[in-house]
Amino acid sequence: MRSPAAAIAWEFRQRHRWGLIGVASYLVVIATIKLLVLGGQPVNLESAESFAFAVVVPMTATFMYSLAVFSFGLAGDLAGRQSMYPARMFTLPVTTAALVGWPMLYGSAAMVILWMATRLLAVWPAGVHVPSVWPGVLAAALLAWTQALTWMPYGLAGVRVIAAMLWLATIDAIVLLAIHYNTSETAMVAGLAPLVPLAYLAARFAVARARRGDVPDWRGGFARPGHRTDFWVSRRGRFSSAARAQAWFEWRRHGRSLPAAVGILLPFELALLWVADNTPVLVFEIMLAVLLTPPFMAAFAAATVRKSNPGAGDSNGVTPFIATRPLTNAALIAATLRATIRSTGAAWLLVLVAVPLALTLSDTWPMVSERARQVSDAVGAPRVIALAVLVGAGLMASTWKLLVQSLYIGLTGRAWLIKGSVFLTLSALFLLGPIAQWLIDNDRLGELWSALPLLLAILVCVKTIAAVWVAARLYRGRLVSDRMLVTGAACWCVAVLGLYGALVWLLDSPDMPRYVLALLAILAIPLARLSAAPLALAWNRHR
Amino acid sequence: MSDSVITVSELTRRFGTTTALASVTLSMPRGAVYGLVGANGAGKTTLIKHILGLLRAETGSVRVFGLDPVADPVGVLSRVGYLSEENDLPGWMRVDELIRYSRAFYPAWDDGYAEELRQTFALDSTAKVRNLSRGQKARLGLLIALAHRPELLVLDEPSSGLDPLVRRDIVGAVIRTIAHEGRTVLLSSHLLEEVEQVADHVTMINHGRVVLSGPLDAIKESHRVDGRVPSLDEIFVALVGTPAAPTRDA
Repeated sequence: MRSPAAAIAWEFRQRHRWGLIGVASYLVVIATIKLLVLGGQPVNLESAESFAFAVVVPMTATFMYSLAVFSFGLAGDLAGRQSMYPARMFTLPVTTAALVGWPMLYGSAAMVILWMATRLLAVWPAGVHVPSVWPGVLAAALLAWTQALTWMPYGLAGVRVIAAMLWLATIDAIVLLAIHYNTSETAMVAGLAPLVPLAYLAARFAVARARRGDVPDWRGGFARPGHRTDFWVSRRGRFSSAARAQAWFEWRRHGRSLPAAVGILLPFELALLWVADNTPVLVFEIMLAVLLTPPFMAAFAAATVRKSNPGAGDSNGVTPFIATRPLTNAALIAATLRATIRSTGAAWLLVLVAVPLALTLSDTWPMVSERARQVSDAVGAPRVIALAVLVGAGLMASTWKLLVQSLYIGLTGRAWLIKGSVFLTLSALFLLGPIAQWLIDNDRLGELWSALPLLLAILVCVKTIAAVWVAARLYRGRLVSDRMLVTGAACWCVAVLGLYGALVWLLDSPDMPRYVLALLAILAIPLARLSAAPLALAWNRHR
Repeated sequence: MSDSVITVSELTRRFGTTTALASVTLSMPRGAVYGLVGANGAGKTTLIKHILGLLRAETGSVRVFGLDPVADPVGVLSRVGYLSEENDLPGWMRVDELIRYSRAFYPAWDDGYAEELRQTFALDSTAKVRNLSRGQKARLGLLIALAHRPELLVLDEPSSGLDPLVRRDIVGAVIRTIAHEGRTVLLSSHLLEEVEQVADHVTMINHGRVVLSGPLDAIKESHRVDGRVPSLDEIFVALVGTPAAPTRDA
């Protein structure tokens, strides 16, 4: 390597070679399908699901991955104040312009090439006009601004996320408006292209500032409210136990991510109530989106919860500081679980306070209460209340479950296992769409419904076998006490029976046999994966 | 109860094709200062990680206070004070938060002693850990390791890259700890003068093997050259072939 440009390019290529190979493989697969399997014949992809899963989802995933790669976002603290530009590069004998320019140039080029390849190779629905250039320019502009905003040092933790979301959403909104008004391709390119050099100037300012260690500090005015969050501490200013101290640690480390994310999104979602114009369908769609926000965001927040060492971007191992706490592995996991319960509670508290407030202020409350009264008249008040409680509890439980269900992978600290599980999950998601479409197209839904009890029974068997294996390992390794094992099993049985009783009361019908409800209840309550978390931590902590 | 605080038997550890520790056997007596010396990459930190239970003994065994540190982390770690070279204290905590957090784990935590150390080390309790200098972080780590008056103090390359004032504090901490009867110190370092200053026993590791182990005075006596008692540094060069700390600060 004879130049800084080549060295920076080599780092991107070397560090993310597996991801880049994955993207290249995807392009090869779709090219093969289009050119060899379909032989260049016109294709009629009428189904939105097929199109979404064949093109939109992989493209979006690739775009998000590229954003993270070229902004160095996979190795930094997104919520922190410091610039996410790697500090090690500040001491290189190159100008700030080069430090900014080369990653931005590579990123923009990658975005444009990715778009051109997708446009040429992907199987697009018949009759749809696919733009030639502007989506590539838009992707380059979004990446450039992501780079500028992530490399900027901020005065407060979390401001980066808010600034990036607001600015990128603004660009998106302007583009959507332009599409709505049938703006020409030339005008789109002319409007979007200047965003890239503007982002370059902003990024250069940001990196220059970070390079001279100029990080603004606006925390003075927020110090007191921040201090009040220490509700884990007793009145004497001490933690009453090691478990409580560790739970506080976990809460401070990543417990606030979920409430913060929900808190940022809620105002935007609820603001739509004012433009819904009292249209029932829109209001209920907005309500549905609001209620699904905590579980949806939990899926993202889980990435920080399951990471045993979020402070170090590319390290998954337990830090010596945590590993040398005189606590058992089970106690360390229990602290994480307590913090996630509190995190879930805080996120839902925001929703429960904000929703009635927004409904009242936007004058949509009468419409919602009227609809609730109609449902109550139709099925009876007790059932409506029970259903509301069950749905609410289900949403809260699923929020928590999404936060903790991947702990057993993340806490292993093995990068190959973590990346492998992400790859398998994404692959399964990509396959889900075409399989669902195939079932619909071939009228196989009836057969699927008939086979549902068998499928559920197989899943229950797998879950049971996994749980027994995990319990045996926990017992043999003395990772949890006998009492904890028995208590855990008993609590799980009670939860399953409770859920089964509620399901029978609500859904019992000839079309839904009780054993199916029992199988669903068994599958719904977490057991094997959650129990495996201490095993994963022990594997990581005592290597 | 055995008089050995740490007993390591036939411990072997491999990382891929690299042998980090090869049949290491040692016994560390109670109430002594034990120096663990060796070049960078010799296996000192790997051995300490086994003692703390951060690495599982693949071959051989490790016992601390007669307990397996992997099977009983609470039993071992609650009696150990540990300061690592990495000093990975959580940067987001304030000094007082870290002290309050740490005290919850150790029933024997001495508030008065912690405050005394904080004042001696001139640590601002409202300062964020991430804003402390390297030397201040080392002092804070030392405070956390000492304030519960551990039976065993493990210092893994504590002086690396630190100025003479901080190094003096660390040596002072070792002396304070052994002043409490029955307490033991394991000091790993490649600064041999520092080890020579405080250690009673020395174990020298090279390429994962113990090349020398015993009371410091006996080692020096047995390596006399022309009637002159050599320094530990000279013995190290003679046995291992390279100076231990060629870049040491003046």
